[in-house]
Amino acid sequence: MKRTLAYLSLLFILGVFLYIANPNYGLVFGPGGKEWLSLRYTDNYYITHGLKEVGGMNIVTDIVFDYRGYDTIGEATVLFTAIAGAVALLRPWRRDES
Amino acid sequence: MTCRPKCGSDMGLIVKTSARAIIPLIGIFGAYIVMHGHLTPGGGFQGGATIAGAGILFLVAFGLDEMERNYNKSLYSALEGIGGLAFLGVAMLGMGTAFFYNTLWHSGPFFNGKPGTLLSAGFLPIMNLAVGLKVFTGLVSALTAIAMYRRWKS
Repeated sequence: MKRTLAYLSLLFILGVFLYIANPNYGLVFGPGGKEWLSLRYTDNYYITHGLKEVGGMNIVTDIVFDYRGYDTIGEATVLFTAIAGAVALLRPWRRDES
Repeated sequence: MTCRPKCGSDMGLIVKTSARAIIPLIGIFGAYIVMHGHLTPGGGFQGGATIAGAGILFLVAFGLDEMERNYNKSLYSALEGIGGLAFLGVAMLGMGTAFFYNTLWHSGPFFNGKPGTLLSAGFLPIMNLAVGLKVFTGLVSALTAIAMYRRWKS
């Protein structure tokens, strides 16, 4: 009985979320339609110019490696530093060897 | 039971045989993700992590002794450094216009084929290979260090 109630409440919450997420009569996150283009012109720029300017079919790779290249360099540096730090911390200490 | 650092830590025969069959397939799939990073979903990070998954499966299935026999620390460190330096160097190629300018695609001698083919998109394939190499060697090094230098008793 308790279990059935739990599943039913889960189903109810899922239904509420589905109702909220519906763009026709639920919550509206930002403007839609034509107004979208005037406010989110950066997305549209990447979609229309990415293939011509960078050459990759995968727009995400175009953004990550070309338009946002500095971000990727920082990410690679973070990975490098994290692994160097992990190996340096995990290696046997002088205290443990004695 | 104190047999630190090495116990007979490999898994059974079934796991080892399945791993021997699956590891090459995972590696090929990861290499495909890295190589087609500019054409299909995925890229250097994702493909490198996939190949590192093959290495970690090797570590888990065959144990630390076998991993230590096949793992060369200086080689992996050098490969990680080479990956990072290749990334930076390819980004430097377009310094005539700007940092991260894709000069190979606009006026380069190679990697400027029709969009959608493998040899297109300028420095994107090279960068994907560099980042994939870096992520693969880095993750395998980190996991091997965690397994090798553990401080808890088994």
